[in-house]
Parts: sequence; structure tokens; C-alpha cells
Amino acid sequence: MTILAIRALILLAILALWEIAARVGNPLIYVPPSAALPALAELVRLRSYPDLPEHLLLTAQEIVVAYGLAVGGGLAVGFGLGLYRVLGRAYGPILAALYAVPSVVWYPSLMLFFGLDAASKIAFGFLLGFFPVTLAVLAGIRQVNAHLVTVARSFGASSVTVFTKVMVPGMLFTLMGGLRTGLALAVIGVIVGEILGSKSGMGSLINHAYGLFRTADYVALVIVTLVLIIASDAAASLVERRARRWTA
Amino acid sequence: MSAVELIRIEGVSKRYETTSGAVDAVRDVSLAVRRGEFCTIIGPSGCGKSTLLAMVGGLVQPDAGRVLIETQPVSGPDPKRVATVFQDPGLFPWRTAVENVEFGLEVQGVDGKRRRAVATELLGPLGLRRFAEKYPRELSGGMRQRVAIGRALAVDAQILLMDEPFGALDEQTRMLMGEWLLDIWRRTERTVIFVTHSLHEALALSSRVVVMTARPGRIKSVIELPYGYPRLMESAEIVTLRAKLWSEIRDESLRAMGEA
Amino acid sequence: MSATVRVRALQAVSVLTLLGVWEAVVRLRLVDPLFVPAPSAVIRGFGAIAPTAMSALGDTLLKTAIAYVLAAVLGVTGGIVIGSVRSLHDTLHPFVGAVYGLPKILVLPWIVLMLGFGTAPAIAYGTIHGLFPILVLVMGAVRDVDRTLLTVARSYGARPWQVYVKVILPAIVPSVLASLRLGIVFCLLGVLIVEMFAGVRGMGSVMGGLANGFRAPELFAATGLVSVASIAIVLGLDHLNEKLSRWRG
Repeated sequence: MTILAIRALILLAILALWEIAARVGNPLIYVPPSAALPALAELVRLRSYPDLPEHLLLTAQEIVVAYGLAVGGGLAVGFGLGLYRVLGRAYGPILAALYAVPSVVWYPSLMLFFGLDAASKIAFGFLLGFFPVTLAVLAGIRQVNAHLVTVARSFGASSVTVFTKVMVPGMLFTLMGGLRTGLALAVIGVIVGEILGSKSGMGSLINHAYGLFRTADYVALVIVTLVLIIASDAAASLVERRARRWTA
Repeated sequence: MSAVELIRIEGVSKRYETTSGAVDAVRDVSLAVRRGEFCTIIGPSGCGKSTLLAMVGGLVQPDAGRVLIETQPVSGPDPKRVATVFQDPGLFPWRTAVENVEFGLEVQGVDGKRRRAVATELLGPLGLRRFAEKYPRELSGGMRQRVAIGRALAVDAQILLMDEPFGALDEQTRMLMGEWLLDIWRRTERTVIFVTHSLHEALALSSRVVVMTARPGRIKSVIELPYGYPRLMESAEIVTLRAKLWSEIRDESLRAMGEA
Repeated sequence: MSATVRVRALQAVSVLTLLGVWEAVVRLRLVDPLFVPAPSAVIRGFGAIAPTAMSALGDTLLKTAIAYVLAAVLGVTGGIVIGSVRSLHDTLHPFVGAVYGLPKILVLPWIVLMLGFGTAPAIAYGTIHGLFPILVLVMGAVRDVDRTLLTVARSYGARPWQVYVKVILPAIVPSVLASLRLGIVFCLLGVLIVEMFAGVRGMGSVMGGLANGFRAPELFAATGLVSVASIAIVLGLDHLNEKLSRWRG
């Protein structure tokens, strides 16, 4: 039997077990797939949550802004610390120490400062997405072959030329990985922020459904959110592949 | 400087600070290189030959003394006059062979069409015409070094500095590359300063051999080779010279090893 | 001035300047002290909540420790098993990867529905959070063991269990240690998230309460406390890691 077939079987087995377990247990908590699918249909037809599109759009916007800030900040700090040796040695360890702190500890302070609106979610998403980008820039710079820099200089290349023609192409692969991870984390940051306390966005809808024990709707909302997340990661991986082809 | 002299190295010294103290790589070296020469510098490991080459190429500044090229002091890399080929070809892995060859021209701002034309034309004598669009990882060691040499030739500099360019290749490839290099040299009439460990290469390729002492490097002796090409390596003159060369180098090599 | 001294000086000057500017900005009423407390207020706030904070921290760390042990045991054994049995790896690998990549926060409300408020969901979610990075890393490490080493072992007549104990296990030790170091941050993260979402005790719920009550100085102090604790734990693990890996040089 092919591997694909086995995986499909496993998936079916999980769904079947889920269905049986749900029928046996408390239906309010253990929603069977047979109940989740109609709930999904209701959701998509905008019957259970008519303003779903607004919330979806808001979450998407928060993600875009948070990610944009994370990339901008990450590239700036990453190149700043990576290219200026003194800065890197002074602030690099501080950055590493901050990275050891579970990011969610900053969230209550962000909520206090920014309130329950989009701003706190964007700030949190930025905080999460910032680190992978910065670390990828630093790692990328470190793995540029120093001999290639010497060769370029022997051909009279200025510092700017060395940067554009040797460093950037040499670190592009690592950088792309960091940008992709940064997106995934910015997404998680926004969603965690919404679930932990917000007035609008997908996370708030999830909270709403959970609070009212509308478990089937909750499952449907989770599925829609997952689609959003998977779509964003697929887009990122497409860009990554394009970039890779361009630099070979 | 006479009309024939192209490079003049005047009393250069260089000291490096290492974790285990200061090291004199080169001490008070003076040498004149004539236009069109194939000048080989040979010596034991650590004798400063690479440092000397780097000083001519403007990548390293001497602590004392100076280097003159056509009476102009060297203060930095001058790709219009000097091009360097290193032991590690240092090809950019994300560029194809032809894109690597045109790199020097690109840095100098030569427009795309012209530099592609120059680079493509060079591929012929380099024997790489079929490999123009290949990436370094798809090329053998010898091919990569040829691309690196092509890159250095493309900028049309008068002087070619080569720091053990064939050191990483197997012996058979080395010999073939030496023959090929000679052919290129005689066709382009450049001035070549060639650093090597290999006695065979020194005798087969050069018009003059400079022997350096062990660290701190000084010039021990200079041997002229006024012979035609291709060299008859079994001829009496070459065989005698080889013995002489080896005796000069052997002592220095032993000293270098003892120090290590 | 040597490089290290210069670096330390820059770090010290930066931190002191930052604190100084921060204090000045708040004193001059350039920002609302309700939202941004001055460093001096934060220190006083720390004094105010110290007893509550310390016991809450202890509570959080206890839950984290339990979750960590569970995650480590399940993650390492699971990783070794799935990584070494080719058929298991090929079939399960995409599932594990998929679950690892998706935000587990989405199932948190459901876990709270099942297990209620308080300690149980915190430990459960903390375990799940820490389990997957460890699992994925260990799986990868087992797959990456140099094939040559395995061939050599077998050519000397080593039987399957010997290959495991003498080649695979020692070879994956560095990756296992790295994954364990990563795992603890994830477990702590998971526990804190649950405490903020549906907590009764622990730093997460304390901080959430302080935020809701607009008690900024105490909140900043509590945040600082958890941060320091977390950095200390990670540094401790790094130190342990170094001690155990001294043979690797």
C-alpha cells in the first residue's frame, strides 16, 4: 500500500474515532465531525456570524501591519548589529537574553498600554515576528564566505558594492527562511493576542463561541482561521521559492 | 625605474599581531619585476610570499617600505593595473561561469552588453565555452580555477598576481593547467608574479625564480631562467638548476619545519 | 581600551541612559504614568507585590516543571521511535509537521472546556506546547545520524539494539540537549498563556489581573520578575549543557 494511502487511512481513522468519542461523550464539549461540517457551512454562508468577513479582514490587516513592522525592524536591527561589530557585540547578548523570555509575558503590559484594540495585537505580532528576522539576518551575515569579500575587494569593489553583490546574494537563502518564520510567528502573535482579549477579529469570535458553549461554531471558526494561516504560509513559501530561483 | 621595470618593491616589511605574540611575516624585501616577466616566488611555508603578493595587490599595507607600480606607490587595490588569483578560486556560487568572469568589469561599471561580449570571448581560450551557463558547483576544481583566472584576465590589468593558484589541484591537472597558463601568458603579454611551492612549476613556467627564506621572509637568491618554451625538463641546464634550487630551498624548509 | 571593556561600557551606558531617559520622561509628564510607570515606581511596585508575585511564580514554575517532564519524556521517546522506524516516520512525518506548524492556541478554549479552569489545563497545554518542538528536533536528529557510522557498527557485527545504544543515542545527545533547552521556554510559555486565558493562580493570571486593574508599576515589576526567572532557567540549562558536552570541544 502506498504511503499516501496509509496517511489517508490514518486521517479517516482519526475522524472516525473522533465521531464515535463525540457521540459517547458530552456533545457540548466533544463535537463530532458530523456536527462540525454543517456548522462550517452555516459559518461560510454568514448565517451564524454575519459579520465574519469584517473580523477576518481585521485579523488579516493586523497580521500584515505586524509583519511589516517586524520585517522592517528586524532587518534594521539585524544589519545594524551584524555589520557594525561593536554594536553587535554589545547588544547581541541582550537580544539573545530577551529571546529566552516567553513572549507572552509582554502581552499584559501591551494590553494595558494599547487597550483591547488592534494596536495591542499588532504590537504583540510585531514582537514575535521581529526575532526570527533579526536572528536570520545575523546568521546570514555570519555565514557569508569571507574569502569572497576579499576577492571582491581585490577587484576594487567599494563597501556598498561588496554589500550588494556579495553579502546580499550570499545570505539570501538564510534570510528567506527567517522571513518565512517571522510571518508564521507574527500570525501566531496576532491570534494569541486576539484570543487572550479583544473586541474584534477572529480570536474574539472564537472566544465568543467558546463562552456561549457554541462548540460546533467554535470548531468551524477554528477551521476558517486555520485556512487563513495556511494560506499565508503558502504565499510565503511561494515567494521563498521564487527568490531561490532568482539567486540559484 | 628603468623603462623595462614595471614593479618595484622597496624594503617592505610586515608584522602581524597574533594571539601568541608579534610575527614578522616579511622583513626588508626589495625586488624589481620587469615588464612581461613570469616571476615565480618560491619558499617554505610561512615565509611571507602570500603577504608579499598581497602588498603588491594593495590588499595589505607594508609597515615599512613601499611598492611602486610604474613609479606610482600602491595604496589600495587597483584592478585597472593589478588582478589577483587566489588558491581558493573564490567564485560566487550564485553566478554562472560567464557571470563570474564579468564580475570585475561589472564593478568597474562597464555596460552589460560589452562585458558579456568580453567575458564570452575569453571563454574560448579558457576552454569553457560549453560551460558558460554552468554554476561553480557543476564545475571541476580545474575548471573553477580557470574561471577565476578568466575573471582576472577580463579586467585587462597589466599585472597578474597568482597565489598558489593550482595548489588545490591534483598533479596531472596542475601540469596541464601550467601549460595552459603559459600559453595564455605568452598570448596576452602580461607580467605575472606567481607564488608556488612546486619546484616543477617554478622551473617549467618562470623566466625568473626568487627564493625566499623561512620566516621572517627575506630574499635568499634570484635565479634567471633565460630558456625557451616549452621547457625541456630533462635538459642538462634544467636538471642542474633543479638541484641548485632544491638545495637553496631545502635548508629554508627545514628551518621552517623546525620552527613549527 | 580592550574590546571587552568597550563592549561592557557600551552596554552599561546604554542601560543607564535608557533608565535615566525613561525616568525623566515620566517625571516630566511627557507620558501618562498610568500607562508607563517610571523605573522608580516599578521598583516600589515590586516591593508591594513581592509576596504575591513570588508565590505565584512558584506556582507557575511548578506547573511548568510537571509539563516539562511530561513533554520531555514523551517528546524524546516519541522522537526516537518515530525517527528510527522508517515506516512510522514516512507516514507520520507530515502529520507531526502540520500540528507543529499550526498555532496550538486555537485548541486552548476547547481544552479549557474539557478540563475546566486552573491547574489541569495549564499542565496539559504546557505539555502540548513543549512536546512538539522536542519531538520534531529529536526526530530530525535521529534521521540525520551519519549513515556511515551505522554501516560501520553493523559491519562489526553490532545487533540492532547495540546500534541504538552505542551509536544512535550518543550521536543524538547534542540535539536532544538543544531540544530540551528549547522545550522549557515553550512549556513555560504554554503555562503562562493558559494562566492568562483561564487561570486561577500563577503569574499569568496575576499579570492579567494587574493589567485589568491598570496597576502599571506592579505589572512591570511582575513582568520583570518572570523575565529574569526565565533567563536564569535558560542560562542554567545552557551551563548544564556545556558541562555535559565538554567532550565535544
